[in-house]
Amino acid sequence: MRDLAARLIAFELNAGESSEPIESAALRVYKKLRQSISAFAGAAAFQSLAFRALSQVQSEVPRLWAVQVAEDGSLEGLSDIRSQIDNDMDLAGEEGTILIARILNLLHIFLGEALTLSLLRDAWPVTAFDDRSSGNGRKS
Amino acid sequence: MKTEMKVTINKLPTGVPGLDEIVGGGLPEYSFNIIAGAPGSGKTTLAHQFVFANATPERPTLYFTVLGESAIKMLRYQQQYTFFDPAKLPDAIRFINLSQVVLEKDLGAVLEEITKEVEKANPAVVVVDSFRTMVRKPKSDMDLQSFIQRLALSLASWQATTFLIGEYAEDELRDNPIFTVADGLFWLRQTTERNSIVRKLQIIKLRGQASVPGLHTFRITDAGVQAFSRTFGLTARKRNPPGHRRLSFGVPELDKMLDGGVREGDSVLIAGSSGTGKSVLATQFIAEGIRHGEPGIVAVFEERPQAYAERAASLGLDLETPQKEGKLTVLYLRPLDLSVDETMQSILDAVQKIGAKRLVIDSLAGFEMALSPGFRADFRESLYRMIFALTGIGVTILSTVEVDESFTEFPFSTYSISFLCDDIIRLRYVSINDQLRKIMVVIKMRGGNHAKDIREYEITPNGVVILDKRLVDYERLISGIPVRTDRFRLKEESSDQTRK
Repeated sequence: MRDLAARLIAFELNAGESSEPIESAALRVYKKLRQSISAFAGAAAFQSLAFRALSQVQSEVPRLWAVQVAEDGSLEGLSDIRSQIDNDMDLAGEEGTILIARILNLLHIFLGEALTLSLLRDAWPVTAFDDRSSGNGRKS
Repeated sequence: MKTEMKVTINKLPTGVPGLDEIVGGGLPEYSFNIIAGAPGSGKTTLAHQFVFANATPERPTLYFTVLGESAIKMLRYQQQYTFFDPAKLPDAIRFINLSQVVLEKDLGAVLEEITKEVEKANPAVVVVDSFRTMVRKPKSDMDLQSFIQRLALSLASWQATTFLIGEYAEDELRDNPIFTVADGLFWLRQTTERNSIVRKLQIIKLRGQASVPGLHTFRITDAGVQAFSRTFGLTARKRNPPGHRRLSFGVPELDKMLDGGVREGDSVLIAGSSGTGKSVLATQFIAEGIRHGEPGIVAVFEERPQAYAERAASLGLDLETPQKEGKLTVLYLRPLDLSVDETMQSILDAVQKIGAKRLVIDSLAGFEMALSPGFRADFRESLYRMIFALTGIGVTILSTVEVDESFTEFPFSTYSISFLCDDIIRLRYVSINDQLRKIMVVIKMRGGNHAKDIREYEITPNGVVILDKRLVDYERLISGIPVRTDRFRLKEESSDQTRK
């Protein structure tokens, strides 16, 4: 799931502005997942999944204790750790990847691979799952 | 109105084995349907089967979920069924959650949201699961009625076939506008009888076409819901009125007693006590059919197929070869918790698979005992339906039944099922000259002549053989304790006098 998360983030990175930080690409992936899963299963279902995923990540990344999942599934408290993120972009990218991977992993546990990919295909084009989309790094 | 001027209502496959037959060939296109029943009765599974059978990327299905079961958990479980094709998601089947709008807004907003999605997707099928939770707190009865009517109108106008799923109790049928507006009303029930769960389906209402009335057994397996029509799926088949052919029993003297043999398409009952040769006669009947190129089915309940074939072999009848050649199927049915309709469906499937012309049920007592107690009440009625359906397509049925031997009466069957049978052959023991011998008599042959003779027979290594010598010197043979006739006594006395 980590590879898949990295691929989706890379796709968003390629699709975004070249100056955009990795953290923003991870947030865009998170936002698309939120929209897709909320439409399919309801905001409460996504909020529960995201809350569980964040709890798992928080045990590995203590600074994310400042982050909360709001009722609509959006992430709150990111502004509190903005300065830390800006100072260490690599770590922020890693944390974003872990969080997305955890959400995908939960989907995989509950729905299996086929349905998880179906859900993702609803939010991203097929090329987003292609190895090549993550190979070149940022859009030049 | 002339037929060609009437609108043709297309029928959509339900995706549920057996249900198309029950609803009269398929579900009417653009109909507005309710699936109602208690929790766990299979409502969602039934809807999913319909959805997966009909959804295409061009005309997708919109599946609205509302509160109740989470879509994630629902799909986690539903994907275990074999009909579930994940490739159909999300292009052909889209799940949309309406919980937020239901919780935060009124029914008008819910309708608006549904309409918006329908306009966007142009779906062929729309499902709302659960509709009950969607309309749980209308402002007024009029609000609810108006919502339902507008929803039904809107979805029909968009040429969508709709299913609303709800947990309703039967006493809610009255006065609920949803049931008035609906074109089709499917009611799923499940009850516990002793240790068995009995699931039944009823089409309470279906506009535009005739459905099969009554309660139909259904089962939920790995393949989803499977329904068992009370007509066993044979109403759509062309009836094949039995001809005038006589089928040989493989026992020449018995054929003569039957005026040339059993009439094709008859239901024959062989009744007798244990050891009188009912199964032997049944085996000879099926083997004779195979010799004449008529495939056969033997449904056994009291012995295993291998033992059945071995016993036949001991009578010089080869049942192994026709089984290998697909001309004979020996079904061993120990259903335990199956309903009688499901068991009969197994027999029917086997009959249809090999195009059987002869069917042996050995025995009715074993059949009934193999059913769980909860289903035994339906036994006679279901048996009647199966016999009627099968003989209607030209299958000749021979059933055996064990009767308690009595020396004061002569029962034909302990099941009061003789009315189901065209022909009855009764076997019984008689005590003659300190020997327990066997006699046979044809009790009844509907619409035909038959011998009135009571014939003695023996079970030999070649099967049942009817003896040439008639027991004319005895009377009250059917009592089991015959006595010499007066004529015989006079003859004996005369011989004695001559000797003196």
